[in-house]
Amino acid sequence: MKRSYERRRRLYGYGFIGVWLLGAIQWFLIPLIASVLYSFQEVNPNKGGMTGIWVGLSNYRTAFFSDPNFRTNLLDALRDTALQTPLILIFSLFIAVLLNQKFRGRTLARAMFFLPVIIATGPVYNIISGNMATGGGSSAEQFSTLFETNLVDRFLTYLGLYGTDSPLTTLIRLITDNLQSLVWHSGVQILIFLAALQSIPTSAREAAEIEGAGAWDFFWRITLPYVSPMILANLIYTVLDAFTAPDNVVMQRVLAVRQDSLHGLASAMAWSYFLVVLVVVGIVVALLRHAIYYESE
Amino acid sequence: MSPKTHSRRRVRLWRLLRGVILFGLCFVIAFPLLYMLSCAFRDPADMNDPTVLWIPRHLSLQPIRDVLRVTNAGTTLWHTIRMNLLSAVFQVISCAVTGYGFARFRFPGRKLLFFIVILMILVPNQIILLPQYMQFQEFDVLGLLRLTTGSTIKLINTPWVMYLPAISANGIRAGLMILLFRQSFRGLPQELEDAACLDGCGPVRTFVYIMVPNASSAFLTVFLFSVVWYWNDSYVSGMFFTNQETVALAVKGLRTTLNMQLFGNASVNAGARETIVWLEAGCLLSLAPMLLFYIFLQKYFTESIERSGLVA
Repeated sequence: MKRSYERRRRLYGYGFIGVWLLGAIQWFLIPLIASVLYSFQEVNPNKGGMTGIWVGLSNYRTAFFSDPNFRTNLLDALRDTALQTPLILIFSLFIAVLLNQKFRGRTLARAMFFLPVIIATGPVYNIISGNMATGGGSSAEQFSTLFETNLVDRFLTYLGLYGTDSPLTTLIRLITDNLQSLVWHSGVQILIFLAALQSIPTSAREAAEIEGAGAWDFFWRITLPYVSPMILANLIYTVLDAFTAPDNVVMQRVLAVRQDSLHGLASAMAWSYFLVVLVVVGIVVALLRHAIYYESE
Repeated sequence: MSPKTHSRRRVRLWRLLRGVILFGLCFVIAFPLLYMLSCAFRDPADMNDPTVLWIPRHLSLQPIRDVLRVTNAGTTLWHTIRMNLLSAVFQVISCAVTGYGFARFRFPGRKLLFFIVILMILVPNQIILLPQYMQFQEFDVLGLLRLTTGSTIKLINTPWVMYLPAISANGIRAGLMILLFRQSFRGLPQELEDAACLDGCGPVRTFVYIMVPNASSAFLTVFLFSVVWYWNDSYVSGMFFTNQETVALAVKGLRTTLNMQLFGNASVNAGARETIVWLEAGCLLSLAPMLLFYIFLQKYFTESIERSGLVA
């Protein structure tokens, strides 16, 4: 029997992804569906496994209306992410631009900024940043004195910016307060932006130079468009990272609920959170899609 | 002032500013680490000495030695390294194969299946962890094992919990790796494969002899990142290993272990000031391998993303 070329390719295709597919069904799809099912049940651990009683939307109702913490945690987490994400994006783009310039010690600087990615384990990060919950309070105190808001305030008034309510001072204050967390969570984004910056074709650069574009123009007209696809990628990455961060309050609540063996409720919470995040990200992506410049199109 | 001096001044000012910003930020990064170093080599008594801030009065290897003993460091380290390397290798191979399948082959349902890969990237671990635990607790493929042997295998606490998913490209951040490989392979010129085909290579040979060598930077990237992520993972392994088999887990449970061993009572609420020395020593020990790894291979990390073809 003669098999056509196309058919052979197709079979080989399935062959190549076959192992993954089996694994994905077993370890991804099935648990995914199970988790959704759990969220609609009251699940209790039993000697043989889990017994579940179908309760419909009751878990979701409990999560949103009865649980004392969930709603506030959710809003807090959303608000924090909404604030942190743009900060991280702007910050990492800025650093990437800096690190893209030629100067002595550039490799070392790049290495330093990427270091947190290598080191940032949950428990380790907690300990060295002085999270009280896991111990290590002393380092945080010493650290915060260096960046105390008073100092920033005093510096700003010295510069002649008095009103502490102007958006610039709020922005600066926001940055310095969260500086440590900002720097530690931007490693991957910085690298991605760096890669994007280095892929700006020299033809574009030369054209800009010929046209006499200054640094400011260059940034807005050339750099930003070429970097825009990566802004989207980084946005998604940052949001997901925030989601799975160990100090995410919603996740902690989910864990706590899980300790109480209320697996159904925990699932419902986790899914609600996930869906909310998905919707928000979806909206942002849909909005930004048209602002992205693709070189090939 | 002539315009030339003016712009030269501006350039110098910018350089200064840039230097200050970068140095300042590097300091922000380095600060907790330096503090950790300082604490780890300190005699515990020094913590109560208010004059000791950075430089310990009594240098001592005591905290490090204690932590090594308490966490059974030799075995833990060996287990971690073994699990780490094996999982990383499995993951690289399986993700590469899958990525290639998606990159160069047309088959019905390709879009849907790739959507599942995207889903794998988006869905956070916490959601599927519990059902996965149940699966590993009574591991049984499609009910076959129960039919044949009458019982299921308990895989929790064995390294197979990590190996099996890695072998099937479902390990930690596998979705991302598959995506990376797919983009990489897509970026290679089609002519390579055509040439291979003309020379009589089937898809498998093409993959092994042509694609793999050309995508070596992607392989390196995935390997490096897999090593790091598996090493640092405490969430997934915390769920599946109830004893503290890996380094990351050992650090996570360090406080309780310390309490048990040093004070004889697991729930003693020793103040942060007292235990910090050991905690920092623990951190140092768990970071050290990765740090060394990074220092020697740092160039490959930072340049990896650009070389992998993920961008552009």
